[in-house]
Amino acid sequence: MKLSELVDRLRLTNLTPEISLEGREVVGGHVSDLLSDVLANAPRQGVLVTIQVHLNVLAVAVHAGLSAVVFAAGRVPEAPMRARAVEEQMPLLASSASAFDVVGQLYALGIRGRSA
Amino acid sequence: MTPPAIVAAAREKGLAMIAICDHNSAGNVAAVQAAAGRGLAVIAGIEITTAEEVHVLGLFPGAWAARAAGEAVRATLPDATAAAAARFGPARVLDAAGRLVGHDGKLLSGASALDLNAAIALIHQRNGLAIAAHVDRPAFSVLGQLGGIPREARFDGIEVSAAGVAAGRGARLAGLGLPLVCGSDGHSLGEVGAGRTLLDAREPSFGELSLALRGLGGRGCVCA
Repeated sequence: MKLSELVDRLRLTNLTPEISLEGREVVGGHVSDLLSDVLANAPRQGVLVTIQVHLNVLAVAVHAGLSAVVFAAGRVPEAPMRARAVEEQMPLLASSASAFDVVGQLYALGIRGRSA
Repeated sequence: MTPPAIVAAAREKGLAMIAICDHNSAGNVAAVQAAAGRGLAVIAGIEITTAEEVHVLGLFPGAWAARAAGEAVRATLPDATAAAAARFGPARVLDAAGRLVGHDGKLLSGASALDLNAAIALIHQRNGLAIAAHVDRPAFSVLGQLGGIPREARFDGIEVSAAGVAAGRGARLAGLGLPLVCGSDGHSLGEVGAGRTLLDAREPSFGELSLALRGLGGRGCVCA
């Protein structure tokens, strides 16, 4: 589905409004706080749900070709990370809902993970 | 951060001893030791990223032990693709003069397959000291990743970050019952010496540090 629609439906906060969401699709999802797992298993053009807010998350998300990162449970990265995300054109989104609930909401919209 | 530049930065900051703890590798340790010569003690170390993504510092009695540990860690690392090297940085191996000798083909910035206890055991098997890295930080620390120090984890010490010492977090961590050290976790020359441990010992050496961590023979150490 369109990333912009996903943002609306889940009522996510856009932490990088400078990035245009136009034309961005989300074709899958992944939830993990272990970067090694994200690198190995997150689907390209997927959305990552995580509570890790450090800079390595951004590097891994870009490298894995993700569509966006959703920070759950009210966690938000610091300003330098958000600025860097804009440079890398990686949308960062936030939800006050728990990671479990965010994933549930994504699943209800038809987003699926990659099966083992 | 070439070996000569690291040594020069350490000397400029008035350090008597440093530990080289590259991510998941000890490939550059001997070069820094050679570059330092007699003027600066250089401990051969490694910073292992465990499978739980906890950073564990290994400090060893010599470069040979650190290298052996490094090889054991390396065997469990994923390969670095060209794209990964471009994104996460090429893992360069340098000589004592700072000249490029080669590249490490593994993803050193990634996680090894060693869990926390296996990483600590690997360090101890090679007569090293296992220190929980920057425990006060939320990312990549044993407290952040696991919520506490597991009872069976046989750390020889815990490290507080430089920022943590400045913010007074050291006092709270003393309650964990392990010796505290402070390090820079320097990823650039400007960060060398940002965090320091004051060593009360006969001389700056691995052996003295080992005694100081255990509080033996009147030696001790405190976060500066």
